[in-house]
Amino acid sequence: MKILIIEDELELAQNIADYLSGESYLCEHAATFDQAIDKIESFSYDCILLDLMLPGGSGLEILESLKKQNKQEGVIIISAKNAIDDKVKGLQIGADDYLAKPFHLSELSARVYSIIRRKQFGNSNTVRQNELEIDLLGKTVKAANQAINLTKKEFDLLLFFVGNKNRVISKSALAEHLSGDLADMLDNHDFVYAHIKNLKKKLSEVHCDNHLKTVYGTGYKWEG
Amino acid sequence: MSKLLDKPLKTFTLYALFILACSIPAYYLVVDYIWLNELDEHNEIVRTRMEQGLNNIDIDEQILAQTLKVWNSVQPGTTISAAQPGEAREDSIYTVSKLNIYSEDGEIDRFRGLQTYLNIYGRPYKLMIETNVEEVDETLLAIALITFLFFGFLVLGFILLNRRISGQVWLPFRKTLDKLRNFDLNKQTEVSFEKTDIEEFEELQVVLEQLVRNNASVYLRQKEFSENASHELQTPLAVLKSKLDILLQDNTLSEAQYEKISSLNSPLSRVSRINKNLLLLAKLENQQFDESHPIDLGELLNETTGLLADQAEAKDITISLKVDRYTMVNGNKYLVEIVLTNLLVNAIRHNVSGGTVTIVLTGGVLTISNSGGKPLKEERLFQRFGNASPENPSSGLGLSIVKEICQRYSWDIRYDFKEGLHVFSATF
Repeated sequence: MKILIIEDELELAQNIADYLSGESYLCEHAATFDQAIDKIESFSYDCILLDLMLPGGSGLEILESLKKQNKQEGVIIISAKNAIDDKVKGLQIGADDYLAKPFHLSELSARVYSIIRRKQFGNSNTVRQNELEIDLLGKTVKAANQAINLTKKEFDLLLFFVGNKNRVISKSALAEHLSGDLADMLDNHDFVYAHIKNLKKKLSEVHCDNHLKTVYGTGYKWEG
Repeated sequence: MSKLLDKPLKTFTLYALFILACSIPAYYLVVDYIWLNELDEHNEIVRTRMEQGLNNIDIDEQILAQTLKVWNSVQPGTTISAAQPGEAREDSIYTVSKLNIYSEDGEIDRFRGLQTYLNIYGRPYKLMIETNVEEVDETLLAIALITFLFFGFLVLGFILLNRRISGQVWLPFRKTLDKLRNFDLNKQTEVSFEKTDIEEFEELQVVLEQLVRNNASVYLRQKEFSENASHELQTPLAVLKSKLDILLQDNTLSEAQYEKISSLNSPLSRVSRINKNLLLLAKLENQQFDESHPIDLGELLNETTGLLADQAEAKDITISLKVDRYTMVNGNKYLVEIVLTNLLVNAIRHNVSGGTVTIVLTGGVLTISNSGGKPLKEERLFQRFGNASPENPSSGLGLSIVKEICQRYSWDIRYDFKEGLHVFSATF
């Protein structure tokens, strides 16, 4: 899987690359508008992470040129501008997702995973992870043909873990993922425990609980 | 306060009064001088005529004496008598006031007199002519009356002219003033005044236009500054946050190190929250989020409460919701959501474990009450960072954002502390 990171802040691009390249992702980096255009024209990627404010031009223009060339890359806008206008405009032009800075890398990774899966497996809506069979459309999970009855939040958590395999995810990243737009407002992340506990319990009922590990009490990791 | 044109009017009026008052004695002196001069001339003519007339008629001494006697008794103003021997025969002119013996109310008349000596047929006679002249007080009174009458005309003219001038000449000034009064820095950045042919006003308008332009550009820069500053902060925050995530992946971390690193997430998200809220405030002040739709407040409350259920559960807080159906308000959905979320998050955050949050929406009034400690100071509550303290991990901006949004839609938001409950009520 090839991912292009279009981001002028080198440190951030490096962190993203570090986090993503552990998996099967191969990351390339473009720091300016021109570099980005060059790379897009010469190569094709599975997913593009696009910053909107770039030296030499706007990320929205890159998005437009991508769509003009009929490229099939999934695009996630990562912008410091959390302006609704930009968000709507970006999604209208054809971005697949929009993530406002600052974000947790695990959140980004989960979204990259979801986009690549959508682009690659087109019609197939089932994800297999270890013994689990996750139906994304029906939002159901099965293990060895045995249905696991998960709540919406538990299902979200499971997908999040699958998108961040073998990565340590902090409690705060999980809390932010679960609370969506409200994430900024909350300072009590204890509710994450309860959901994790329930998820673990349900997984243990089908003997799948050995993948979800707790790291030092407040971090979590899906090993698989 | 008095009007600009009234100030010179007062001074001019006083000056006119002073000058006209001074003119009264001057007029009097001139008139009296002319009077007396004319009367002296008149008396002299009478004397010449009498001397010539008496010398030309051929009359004997006895009849002359009788004629003079008759003359003296019927013409008391002119007395002619034989001069006493040894009398110093010098002419003299004098003014005298005498009681009018013919008048009943004892009127005093003033006379101009000429005492002179005639030679009739070689014999000396003394002639006294007294002609009635206007009294001092009467002359003065007449002059003063006329002067004050004209002074009245003058003042009346001043006032009328003043009014006309102030209406016409100050019209451009008033228009300029109106323009300035209606000028709103938030909505416009240019102001244009009507052309005027008065130099001072033209100058004023040029200076004002420049002032407004400068202020508008400073204001604009200030607005852009807070937006840009917030944006600029997001990127380093993103670097920090991602760096922490990377650090957590290190297999060699000890538990203590892991704890330290992951505990950084909390202050980091607080900084990012403050930053986002500052940005939101800047945008609110910049009059963004214009579009407005009818919003079902009850439905939105249900949604928001649902989103916060996790939070409430973690603190064992019971939320009760009593909502009138179809309470519609007009506003920007995003902003209304922020108002509700901020109020509800506060109600949960500043609550006690096992406490309650009661939400009542009825008759266009939303009341959110929650259990919790001591009453808060209302005047500081809605200020930016008004309630910030080390024990208080909030952004310190939530309620000022609520206030700002409520003000934009003219909703009334207030705080009360009743029976151990913090009560926030918003009237839509």
